[in-house]
Amino acid sequence: MSKVKSFAGGAHPSGNKDLSSGAAVVRLPAPEVVTVPLCQHLGAPSRPVVKPGDEVKRGSVIGEQNGFISLPTHSPVNGKVLRVENAPMPHMRSGPAVVIKTESEDGGEVYEPVPDWRNADISLIVNRIKEAGVCGMGGASFPTYVKLSPPEGVKIDTLIINGVECEPYLTADHRLMLERADDLITGMNILARVLGVTDPCIGIEVNKPDAIELLEKKGAKVIRLKVQYPQGAEKQLIDAAVGREVPAGGLPLNVGVVVQNVGTCVAVTEAVCKGMPCIRRITTVSGMGVNSPGNFNVCVGTPVSTLIDAAGGYKGDVRRLISGGPMMGMAMFTDAAPVTKGTSGILALVPAEVRDVVEGPCIRCGKCVDVCPLRLCASVIATASEYGKWEDAEKAGALNCMACGTCSYVCPAGRYLVHHIKRAQNEIRALARAREA
Amino acid sequence: MTENRIFDLAVSPHVGSSKNTKKIMWDVVIALIPALIAAFWFFGPRALMLVAASVGAAVLTEWLCLKFMKRPVNFAFDGSAVVTGLLLAYNVPPGVPWWLPVIGSAFAIAVAKQAFGGLGHNIVNPALLGRAFLVASFPVLMTAGWIAPMQWKDGERIDVQACGVSTAQLSESGEFDALSGATPLNALKQTFTWEGEPERSEEVRSMLFSKESIKNLFMGRIGGCIGETSVIMLLLGAIYLVLRGVLELRLPLSYLGSVALFGWLFGGQGWLDGNPLFHLLAGGVILGGFFMVTDMVTTPVTKKGRIIFGVGAGLLTMVIRRWGGYPEGCSYSILLMNLCTPLIDRYTKPLSFGEVKKNG
Ligand code: SF4
Ligand code: SF4
Repeated sequence: MSKVKSFAGGAHPSGNKDLSSGAAVVRLPAPEVVTVPLCQHLGAPSRPVVKPGDEVKRGSVIGEQNGFISLPTHSPVNGKVLRVENAPMPHMRSGPAVVIKTESEDGGEVYEPVPDWRNADISLIVNRIKEAGVCGMGGASFPTYVKLSPPEGVKIDTLIINGVECEPYLTADHRLMLERADDLITGMNILARVLGVTDPCIGIEVNKPDAIELLEKKGAKVIRLKVQYPQGAEKQLIDAAVGREVPAGGLPLNVGVVVQNVGTCVAVTEAVCKGMPCIRRITTVSGMGVNSPGNFNVCVGTPVSTLIDAAGGYKGDVRRLISGGPMMGMAMFTDAAPVTKGTSGILALVPAEVRDVVEGPCIRCGKCVDVCPLRLCASVIATASEYGKWEDAEKAGALNCMACGTCSYVCPAGRYLVHHIKRAQNEIRALARAREA
Repeated sequence: MTENRIFDLAVSPHVGSSKNTKKIMWDVVIALIPALIAAFWFFGPRALMLVAASVGAAVLTEWLCLKFMKRPVNFAFDGSAVVTGLLLAYNVPPGVPWWLPVIGSAFAIAVAKQAFGGLGHNIVNPALLGRAFLVASFPVLMTAGWIAPMQWKDGERIDVQACGVSTAQLSESGEFDALSGATPLNALKQTFTWEGEPERSEEVRSMLFSKESIKNLFMGRIGGCIGETSVIMLLLGAIYLVLRGVLELRLPLSYLGSVALFGWLFGGQGWLDGNPLFHLLAGGVILGGFFMVTDMVTTPVTKKGRIIFGVGAGLLTMVIRRWGGYPEGCSYSILLMNLCTPLIDRYTKPLSFGEVKKNG
């Protein structure tokens, strides 16, 4: 048994994973109408290539890739395009989406499987991952193929598969590791081959012993990680697993590492071995605000309300609806927003679970400094931000903050540290743009 | 079918730890209770009266200030004013009139805290500035108001006239009259002045550093300020704070370690002949080390900074005890270090993750 590893700093929010970790993934049929966002990935939205009235096939492209950091978008159903419009999105604002009336949900394996990925041309595999629209399924939704195309001269020697799932409540990755272990390992090996890495590993927090055991039995190399938030943050995971510090403002590839989520590996297997584009994902629906929390395999474009119904509907006084985990997820104002490739969870939280406090004065307890995994002084940045001193905030390292929320979580004064820091980031970037222009 | 309702928007994170400012402050109050019991035991009901007066004045002043400044007055009950009131009372001699801690607390809250912007904005520890104000304004009361700890015999309280360290020993040896000081530190300070009589000062010092004396220090059977004498009761409170996760140990440990080290280095007459244990247990070091050096608002937020703060305060404490004008240097050393806190914070800002030191 390998040693349990970790990073420095962090906190221990209550996991609340028992709510849904025992619930096997339930596959939901496509709803009558799907609203497929054209920007489910990080980067430029895909350009719509369908118009109202068009017949679309499951797996067919409805939006083309639009630039290097971008991806195509596929229809999750066979049906007819009703509208191409701006629809509410899980990330607080509205965005372009294709609304499709579902007729049926079969077929969809629109690509030829790559015959023998162990010997196939690497560019063929990367291209397949790109055209299938695979992006990071952990939440950040960065186009996967970009991570597989390191710039000239960069040598990747380590591939870490992220099975940490450190956000409280979320269990989608846990269930996926248990139920799709073979596809996961295949995907991991495909990615390793593309990157030329010989011994990829999977990082998992020790609160998922069943997943660790299963994957080890199947021959995967597992790195046991301490249960500590944010263990699954890319930089922290790399630090814990291989002891390398990604430079501030840099990327994992600067230290020879690529990190991919477990869900991404399965999506890669689907794309490469079955020719299936990325049109479904596993999402946890949990919180004390739903009747029967669970994990669901849903089409992208499924409205959140459908998922909530599948989980038995709302229960009690739902104070907050969240897309993602409670630490970094976004509060949604409506459950009409659709699930995207990056929706790792939908949480309906009641007042007892939510921390809703009036911000008090900083008592300089230093807890935020103690826990910041990036060794930032959150209180200092936030104070500078509150006073509008953007330069001071930048000097204090505002731009390095990854908004993991650990500092706000521990702050006894209930300060909205992440909010203040993000605000400073926006202002600093705006100033920089203004200077350039 | 669920109705389409509008949910609240809010910034992440959506969950938080259950610790909050109020809970922390009340935890500190609870941790200070054992020392109050000791004060009652050794100095009688007047100790309780003084503490009550001080706490009452602190809370009332806070309330009035907030009211006057049109701020939410419920801040007066967040426990921080109670902590200030307690600490101020703990830092005055038990023989002072009731209005002295009242003035001290009022000053502490109004001038040292609210005038700087209230909770979290004060630069120095309010209770300590209040105490310094009292020492400057009422020097006689503040340095002569000692009373002897009560002795208990067959279940009855007997007042022992003599004050000071291991009381009995001192009076037996007839040295007591020569010691105008009433606390162990006063006695020690005196020995430093008897330059011409090395034997006499040696004798008193060996008494002060004796096992019996250390035991009295530990239990609190000595003269001293209301809340500082009983080491064992203060430690009980400190343990409570550690268990509650409120106490970050870098500050107290570096402070106590520094006092012990420098106490040994120059806490006696010459070099390397001090008694570290005596210096730890005497005076306000334990109270200061666990309840004032650890004041969050006025100490550094960085880990390294806290250690520097503790070591610096310990050094200053010992320098004042040995060479300064006062027998005890605990509170002034902390006040001085409070002033250095912004500087310490600035120079101990950690290198953030993945950041490379500029210019090597
Ligand atoms: S945790 Fe909150 S109260 Fe403590 S120093 Fe940081 S911002 Fe201030
Ligand atoms: S949100 Fe930013 S400042 Fe706060 S703990 Fe995370 S990285 Fe550090």
